[in-house]
Amino acid sequence: MFLARIEGTITATTKHATLAGCRLLVGRRIAADGGVADEPVVLLDRLGAGRGSTVLVSTDGDLVRKWIGNTAPGRLSVVGIVDRVDGESVR
Amino acid sequence: MRLGIVRGRVVLSAALDSLRGTRLLVVEPVSARSLAEGRGEGGGTPLVVADHLAPHTGQMIGFVEGREAANPYWPGEAPVDAYCALIVTGVDFPPPDPAPAADEVLP
Repeated sequence: MFLARIEGTITATTKHATLAGCRLLVGRRIAADGGVADEPVVLLDRLGAGRGSTVLVSTDGDLVRKWIGNTAPGRLSVVGIVDRVDGESVR
Repeated sequence: MRLGIVRGRVVLSAALDSLRGTRLLVVEPVSARSLAEGRGEGGGTPLVVADHLAPHTGQMIGFVEGREAANPYWPGEAPVDAYCALIVTGVDFPPPDPAPAADEVLP
């Protein structure tokens, strides 16, 4: 799992059938120093995270399969919206 | 899932049976800056992505990597580790910080 900052959303008219109705967020992984990765990732979301949120992302593809189906081409999903992170290295 | 721009296709003269019916796209991953600028640029290291959705060259797609890329072939199997899951039709992503105006630049 890792933390990511939500910075936007995408829409897709043509997609794998299992992704119909899924919210697709664009986020960037947060590094230990608080910086964000250069490359964005698309996250499947069912918690309603919005832009500016910090979220907990799971890389468990089985979770996605159980959620939307065995043939789902997805791995990254939002499993929590972060309230705060305590500690000195990650802000 | 990452985002990428379709740059071309790969055509095989021989392949495993499990790849029959699968298109192979050459895809250039998109950086956050390129995504925000929206000029159709990528910036990442190209890779080959399996596909059943038929995006055109220049279109942006979302592609899954790793073991989950072969999920669409379930209950069969395929030697696929990158798969086109969607064709992007809209992006809501903030533009990069604007360059400072000339009178804001320190001498």
